[in-house]
Amino acid sequence: MKRRVGGLETEFGLVCVREDGSRALEPEEAARELFRPVVAMGRSSNVFLRNASRLYLDVGSHPEYATAECDDWWELVAQDRAGERIFAELTEQANARLAEAGQGATIHLLKNNVDSVGNAFGSHENFLVDRRGEFTRLPRYLLPFLVTRQIITGAGGVVHPGEGEDGPARFVFSRRSDHMWEAVSSATTRTRPIINTRDEPHGDPSRFRRLHVIVGDSTMSEVSTHLRFATTDLVLRAIEGGRALPELALHDDIAAIRAVARDLTGAEPLPTAAGSTTSAVDVQQRWLDHVTPFADSEEQDVLEQWQKGIDAVRTGDRTWAATHLDWAIKERLFTQVAERRGVDLGDPAIERLDLAYHDISAEHGIFAALQRRGQAPQILSEERIEAARSTAPTTTRAHLRGQVVAAAQELGVDHVVDWTTFRLTRPGAMPVQVLDPFATESDEVEALLAEIRGTDGAPDSAPVA
Amino acid sequence: MSQQSLNAPGHGPEDSGEDAALAGGQVFASAQAADDLLDEIDSVLESNAETFVRSFVQKGGQ
Repeated sequence: MKRRVGGLETEFGLVCVREDGSRALEPEEAARELFRPVVAMGRSSNVFLRNASRLYLDVGSHPEYATAECDDWWELVAQDRAGERIFAELTEQANARLAEAGQGATIHLLKNNVDSVGNAFGSHENFLVDRRGEFTRLPRYLLPFLVTRQIITGAGGVVHPGEGEDGPARFVFSRRSDHMWEAVSSATTRTRPIINTRDEPHGDPSRFRRLHVIVGDSTMSEVSTHLRFATTDLVLRAIEGGRALPELALHDDIAAIRAVARDLTGAEPLPTAAGSTTSAVDVQQRWLDHVTPFADSEEQDVLEQWQKGIDAVRTGDRTWAATHLDWAIKERLFTQVAERRGVDLGDPAIERLDLAYHDISAEHGIFAALQRRGQAPQILSEERIEAARSTAPTTTRAHLRGQVVAAAQELGVDHVVDWTTFRLTRPGAMPVQVLDPFATESDEVEALLAEIRGTDGAPDSAPVA
Repeated sequence: MSQQSLNAPGHGPEDSGEDAALAGGQVFASAQAADDLLDEIDSVLESNAETFVRSFVQKGGQ
């Protein structure tokens, strides 16, 4: 697909502590406090917002934000960052209420993927793919790319030696690699796969299917988030293009993903299914070279950054990466802080630092502090991120959903909305379904908007808070 | 993606521009700024790092 819709779901970690760091509220209770204004507005902890995104409380008391459908990856990054801002504001409000109640408790929301005992939660990428494409053929080509792309877009982190292993804690490209158990499956928790086969296209199922990639780390850097989508999209386009593709299927995807995480040179031999070997750098370079002809003029910066990321690993020169890519920013920061404190990477101070890096608060977050000092990228303007909090992407169906939610909220009209269907909750109201994720105009939605605005008759007077 | 980026004013040349500015700023970033950051990090880490880490336990998601 030349033009593709994608979306990003982010589950946030949640902790509520007293000043001494001890737990003040259980996650369930803290989540309830966090969602108080959301429930007051939508009478539910599962709502769609004006920017057409979905905000909800997921299993395990994880606040979750799913961007609206985007067909431009910078727009997707803006929508994702808008979600951080929305949750950061909810967190500030909750903390103000807790302070007022004399609770002496502070909620921290962490855009990361694992808690202190190893419970994992996700950052799920969704790509719309053509139903006619051979989905069974896709993983063979996509998996080697996904297994190794952590050397570019991993969030970085520290792993401790496993049971029966020796040696110090070490820096890795992605901690999530240790939480992957299968290449492709329908599971999401117990035996978490790299590609999940859940097939909910949120569109006409005869035309589209959904590719659900759940191997990614939650990324703070706008460059890292953008590259996750832009490079994967290019690879998908090449696979869909039907030409001869790099045959790099690995002998054991799960063994490989863990080896790649730990090999900061990217050079370690990875056995292939065909009986030879490759390496993380080799797989990424071959895919980059292969997709280059598929990239248009607007995608040249993606190719350049992808190459710079590969080079940072291949040569060990982190100059560019250490101010652009999450793993390299962290690698430098953790090394500096460990040296300054005279501790190794396994010290709890470094784990605390890792959590602070992913803290979405402008006040407590270390990523924001790095941005303020020009040591982490800030590609999108403040204005654009702020605008994305209340403005849906204009080039997809999100535009329609955003208009419905905005009008209904403004006029206090009760409504129910999901990815494909919009409906007022008044008696006799007919649902409007939009099955084309690319649709930006619809007569039925126009009629629904007229009904909301009361221009087709008397409005129901049921104002929501 | 190749669609006309109707809503992507921050896309394209502007990005590389800001990128270059960032890289330039990086080169000339004063040692003072780096020290400030490490001081700021110290203040986060001093306040009961280990207890905070242990407090962060959630059921798995997804």
